[in-house]
Amino acid sequence: MRLFKTPNIKFLKYKYVALAVTAAIVLAGALNIFFGNGLKPGVDFGGGTLVRVMFKDPIPVDRVRQILREVDLGDSVIQESGRKNQEYLIRTQQVIRNADEQQQLEAHEQLGDRVIQALSGESGRAETARGLVDLNRLDENGLVALLETSFPDKGREAARNIIKVRTDNGIIGDFSLLRNAGIPPEIMTFLSEKTFLGNLTVLSRETVGPQVGKDLRNKAAQATIWALIGMLIYIAFRFKMAYGVAAIFTLTQDVLITVSIYSFTGREINLPIIAALLTIVGYSINDTIVIFDRVRENSRLMRKEPMEEIMNVSINQTLERTLITSGTVFLTLLALYLFGGEVINDFAFIMLIGTIEGIYSTVYLSCPVVLAWQKVFKTQKGFRK
Amino acid sequence: MKKSIQWKALLTLAVLIGAIFIAYPYNQDKIKLGLDLKGGIHLVLQVITDDAINMETDQEIARLQELFKKQDITFTSIDKVRPGQFAVHGTVADQEGKTRDLAAQYSGDWSYSFVGDRITFSLKPPAASALRDQAVSQTVETIRNRVDLFGVAEPLIQRQGGERIVVELPGIEDPEHVKDLIKVTAVLEWKLVKAGPASDEETLLRDSGGVVPDGMEVLKGDPKRGQAGFYLVSKVAAVTGKDLRMVRRSVDEWNNPAVAFSLNSDGARRFERVTGDNIGKALAIVLDQKIQSAPTINARISDSGIIQGRFTIEEADDLVIILKAGALPSGIKYLEERTIGPSLGADSIRQGFLAGLIAIMAVMTFMLVYYKLSGLNAVIALIFNVVILFGALAYFKATLTLPGIAGIILSIGMSVDANVLIFERIKEERGLGKTIPNSIAQGFSRAFTAIFDSNLTTIISAIFLFQFGTGPIKGYAVTLIIGLVSNVFTAVFVSRLIFDVTVRKTAKSLSI
Repeated sequence: MRLFKTPNIKFLKYKYVALAVTAAIVLAGALNIFFGNGLKPGVDFGGGTLVRVMFKDPIPVDRVRQILREVDLGDSVIQESGRKNQEYLIRTQQVIRNADEQQQLEAHEQLGDRVIQALSGESGRAETARGLVDLNRLDENGLVALLETSFPDKGREAARNIIKVRTDNGIIGDFSLLRNAGIPPEIMTFLSEKTFLGNLTVLSRETVGPQVGKDLRNKAAQATIWALIGMLIYIAFRFKMAYGVAAIFTLTQDVLITVSIYSFTGREINLPIIAALLTIVGYSINDTIVIFDRVRENSRLMRKEPMEEIMNVSINQTLERTLITSGTVFLTLLALYLFGGEVINDFAFIMLIGTIEGIYSTVYLSCPVVLAWQKVFKTQKGFRK
Repeated sequence: MKKSIQWKALLTLAVLIGAIFIAYPYNQDKIKLGLDLKGGIHLVLQVITDDAINMETDQEIARLQELFKKQDITFTSIDKVRPGQFAVHGTVADQEGKTRDLAAQYSGDWSYSFVGDRITFSLKPPAASALRDQAVSQTVETIRNRVDLFGVAEPLIQRQGGERIVVELPGIEDPEHVKDLIKVTAVLEWKLVKAGPASDEETLLRDSGGVVPDGMEVLKGDPKRGQAGFYLVSKVAAVTGKDLRMVRRSVDEWNNPAVAFSLNSDGARRFERVTGDNIGKALAIVLDQKIQSAPTINARISDSGIIQGRFTIEEADDLVIILKAGALPSGIKYLEERTIGPSLGADSIRQGFLAGLIAIMAVMTFMLVYYKLSGLNAVIALIFNVVILFGALAYFKATLTLPGIAGIILSIGMSVDANVLIFERIKEERGLGKTIPNSIAQGFSRAFTAIFDSNLTTIISAIFLFQFGTGPIKGYAVTLIIGLVSNVFTAVFVSRLIFDVTVRKTAKSLSI
């Protein structure tokens, strides 16, 4: 089976159009980043607190926002995630100034506490006052300690089973859930006397202090720059300087375009996004190298032809392969995007953009840059050194 | 069959069996789950090493004062300039020779300089950095002891860079409790009470004329222990936590939780003397500069006693842990904390597994439809790939994180890349009218440089990710690198082998 016969599209003719398209997207992105909504640094880079909660009973997002507004946290970012109307990601946005590292971290922690307290509302207050513990908040060690004092022989096992039920369900909605899971009746009686089921559970909670946030930013920038330098050196070594420069140009615009488009989606930049960008860079260069490799080969076979023609033939010859391999990666990313879950969703999304964008940059931009470089620096054209 | 094919077959078989042997049967020790999948607490903390330098400086000042006194050298005062530096003021000129001799003899880790009547002592930089280093490694040790006593399975306590420590505690969900347990400095002291408790400092110092007498200090009661008010206590401790031989949770005479302790022989001797000389007075038990309780000494006590303070059972247990594990050499502060509940991780695993399965199915279907029987070749190579990947993860005892799962899924998508390159090349060679075995051979050899170069560049970027990434991102870089290496292996070896074995020399058609 073939997608098409080897085409003969004059890709290099469109280099100025392609440059204009790239410039337009990057300009729009830059305007948005610097004057518009901007890039949203996530908790990894921006510092602050991110709380992920799950409610026992569904609660609409407007209600969540209203509750937070009542405790002066109305500017928090609230995002529905996972189970509809039950799971929420909340990130406090308050900037804390004039405080040292430790105080900032503690202040962010307290904001997180306030979010959880506000959302818990009146639920559990009376029970806690009576000395009952919230079974939806207790961790395994705590539960083991609680049960082992009254049930020395089977307390530990029961605690483990209860935690397993909670882990599988996210939150224990009703004691019947435990009864059905085979927790012995005497333990159930004990639980209904000593514990209660709070209205929410904290699935995760992350606080990154300003120092670490800054370090992570630095490290991300360093990783990106060093990766680009590494590739430049490798390609310049394997091919020629002009090709190395072209590859880096292509990759840089890969990053710029991807980030520009991403900036319009309102999604946050976190560490996995940086990892995705580097992967896009590493993967987009695959296509570029395959084309360069073919140019290298063809320039030996087609000595008489001008370089531009050789490049055009090479791009056309490898076009089917470029589309198919990017296609299979696209398929797997689509699976990750649709089924991989909320936590990895941003990662899959930016990779999808990058994969499509990578085809475009490879096909339209990598070769013209080689020619332009060779023209400017008057190095010998083609491949022969 | 050609010899080279036999060798290839043998190697492929060895790698495959090896991978299965290492990875199967799967258990938790082979491929560990990262904190983001298992749930737990991740803390990054910084050791305030200035504390250690400060303490060293204070000790040196005390030592020097003693030395000067012994040698009858007069001076007006000694000031701490900053941690690691202090100045002696007002030394007398005719004693300069003697002072110089003393300083020279004294030097050790300290350098000194004379300016007029002032001698400035500075801690030498190598000594300072050794002290800082020691403070960090001692902190790591102490935290490890505390965490072990607290009972966490498979904790990770690791020094990260100069003065940072990463603490990972799987399965724990109550960060506040753990943070407190790690953070307390836990310096325990017994000090004689001269006055107090009083509601404020003024009342406390009324008898001593409003100033703190020499050798005394004012300490506050710990509100958590039900102690309010201010106490005037002696600066020098009668005994300290270092003199403890044993601690355990116990009960007091009213059956409330308390901590029982006993002292080593040296401590016991001092304790006996102090308690014997001060019957009827109060002896404060001070933890990190806060008074826990100040019981009255009823009789001479030698080597054991209890610490009371309205503890809950949990608080008493915590106190036992920190006393057993020892004090921190310097303060610490938290820079980052992440708590992940187990259900979020369980969800991620489930969804990651589902996404991976769908991705494999989609890619396999595509390859079979597009390349027909040759596609089957790629599918077999893909399965090999996944097996080798898990074998390698188990071999390197890698930690699987959520981004790591994404890396595996991604490398599944990329793994057919090499096959596609080869197959497209074979098609082209066929189009030029070459024979089938010839096309296959040419396809593989011509595609090889592109496969090698393109995978290597991706590996280069993954290596930098590994270098600069933290926790989960490192996991991603590892799976990606392993995936790419095994891609090249399966594409070049396994796929070739399958063609060599299945396609006859005289074959007239190739399903591709």
